[in-house]
Amino acid sequence: MPPGLTGPGPAPHTLLLEAEGLAKTYPNSRAPALAQFSLSIAPGEIVGLLGPNGAGKTTAISLMTGLLPPDAGRVRVCGVDFREHPRQVRPWIGLVPQHIALYSRLTAAENLRYFGSMYGIGGRELKERVRACLATVGLADHEGGRIDAFSGGMRRRANLAVALLHRPRLLFLDEPTVGIDPQSRNLILERLAEMSRAGAGMLYTTHYIDEAERICSRVVVIDEGSVIAHGSPRELADAHPGCGDLGGLFLRLTGKALRD
Amino acid sequence: MRPLIATLLKELLLLYRDRMGLLVLFAMPAVLAVVVSLVQENVLKTTGAARMDVLFVDQDRQTLGPLIQEQLARIENLTLVTELDGRAIDVEQARRLVDKGRYEVCIVVPAGLTAAVRSRTGDQIAEAFAGEAVPGGPPPPHLSVYFDPLVQGVFRSSLMNALGRMALAMELEIKARALSEALPARVRQALGAATGRMVADPGLPTVQLDPSWGGRRLMGVVSEQSRLKRLPTSVQQNVAAMSVFGIFFIVLPLCGIFIRERQEGTLARLRTLPVGYLTILAGKMGAYLAVCWVQFGFIVLVGKLVLPLLGTPVLELGADTPALAVTVTLVALAACGYGLMLGAVAGTLEQAAMFGAVSVVCAAAVGGLMVPVYVMPPAMQTLSAFSPLAWGLTAIIEIAAREGSLASVQRELLLLAAFCAATLAVAWARFGRCDRPAST
Repeated sequence: MPPGLTGPGPAPHTLLLEAEGLAKTYPNSRAPALAQFSLSIAPGEIVGLLGPNGAGKTTAISLMTGLLPPDAGRVRVCGVDFREHPRQVRPWIGLVPQHIALYSRLTAAENLRYFGSMYGIGGRELKERVRACLATVGLADHEGGRIDAFSGGMRRRANLAVALLHRPRLLFLDEPTVGIDPQSRNLILERLAEMSRAGAGMLYTTHYIDEAERICSRVVVIDEGSVIAHGSPRELADAHPGCGDLGGLFLRLTGKALRD
Repeated sequence: MRPLIATLLKELLLLYRDRMGLLVLFAMPAVLAVVVSLVQENVLKTTGAARMDVLFVDQDRQTLGPLIQEQLARIENLTLVTELDGRAIDVEQARRLVDKGRYEVCIVVPAGLTAAVRSRTGDQIAEAFAGEAVPGGPPPPHLSVYFDPLVQGVFRSSLMNALGRMALAMELEIKARALSEALPARVRQALGAATGRMVADPGLPTVQLDPSWGGRRLMGVVSEQSRLKRLPTSVQQNVAAMSVFGIFFIVLPLCGIFIRERQEGTLARLRTLPVGYLTILAGKMGAYLAVCWVQFGFIVLVGKLVLPLLGTPVLELGADTPALAVTVTLVALAACGYGLMLGAVAGTLEQAAMFGAVSVVCAAAVGGLMVPVYVMPPAMQTLSAFSPLAWGLTAIIEIAAREGSLASVQRELLLLAAFCAATLAVAWARFGRCDRPAST
């Protein structure tokens, strides 16, 4: 059984995430990294957050996961204000950072056990969840392998497994398939789709437009900190005829100039 | 509680798998304790506290040469070497050996010393009876002492003092003996002149001098025994110093792991957990506190088991074990706090490693871990009062070597606790601060 929506959590709520008017300007920077950013995610929904480099995707995720305080706006998870009740909200969310946020000298199972313990899970339950999560991401036979001995794809999958261990209602995935082979990528996307069907909500950032077309029910395109388009892939295609696919639409919206 | 224990175990596991870090933590202070103790044995040797061989060349070959040799042999810790490979040493050979550093010192009795001393004694006795001193005259004959240029001033002056005392005693004895021989003859002469006839034996008392007469002191200077039941040893000083040094070296792996967490993104993940920053910091501190205790125990074992095999005294740690435990714990907490602060403040691993190592070595040097504070210039002695390593060293030595207690080291313990609290506060504030993510 894939993790998600099976553990203790908040009372059923129509929206898992409500972000309203988020804004952030970094010190020593005149341009805002994010301005008037609003987003909602319902249970079972995967929302793609697309944008070129420096568009504000990671800033948006950092604000919505409590890693950064917003200059303005607010975030509610399952109806609970994040800033006011961070301890209550944190067990409901999971983060798959862009970096492999694991202890490279620990094994996959040791990493999962550590992060699981930090959520207060222990004993036999922790052992079972670790085994299930590793199986979910295709690492059942590698639980004793150290992360620094893993391939890029295995590390990405282990990175995902850690975020699933406490069975969050809402997952934030920051480019979770960067630099891995098609097989690992396919497995990750399949698992995310299964979790979505089980009721988990997700915010998914990626540079791979085909991934967004494949698993996202809605897509938000941002550039220079502002939302420039949103809707389902179909709605966006209809609204911008002549682009061919989502990739063509993305280039039309964000331009062909290189971004640093 | 579960997150705290999980963090503690995770840190121990990470450290266990960092072989180089472990080597730094355990082998380095133990090796330093052994090496510094043995080096200090050598320093004691050059300062006269241990036995040493001294070349002795007698060019006089009369009465005084053997007498001086006999007197020198009585000086504690000196062994006279008069022959090498079965042949008497000459001055050139002796000076060459000293210049090369094979021997630290050479004493030469010049040729004609006995005759010159006899002559000068006679002259001085004659002057004394004449009631007037003869000004000028040739300079007195002298013993020549050649030192290895690298020999410390303390040893030079202590040996020269010993030789001076010996020469004074011999001179006194020679003069007294000469006077005791000359006086009856002069009295007979004076009586003869007064009575107009030779007096063969007027029954005058004679002076009997045994060979040690000149060496018997009229007034002495005695270094009184310390009131401590057990005298402090160099091993206690060195083991305490290297323990504190080693404990503070946990700064390197601790801040390294902290920075790696930040660079690899695990810190960001930790900050999304429903666990307070203090729990995470406390878990890290708990793990490294345990490591410090194991490290201290390891160095103590070296002091008790290994160093005695190399000829040093067995390490004694005093009677107040609880006080020592509290002190070591506070030293370890201060080191952990510093490591966490450095990990939170430093931008890169390289910065942290460089600054961490240099700052600990400087604080150790200033704190008297390498040379005693009392030999430092006044400015450095003032700086020493601000070194946490100095506080730790002072407290451990006070308890282990000076029969101190918690009450006698409370100032140092309070300073260590304050340092720990201050550094932790900085680490906590920095840990909780939000950084701009690597990708926006």
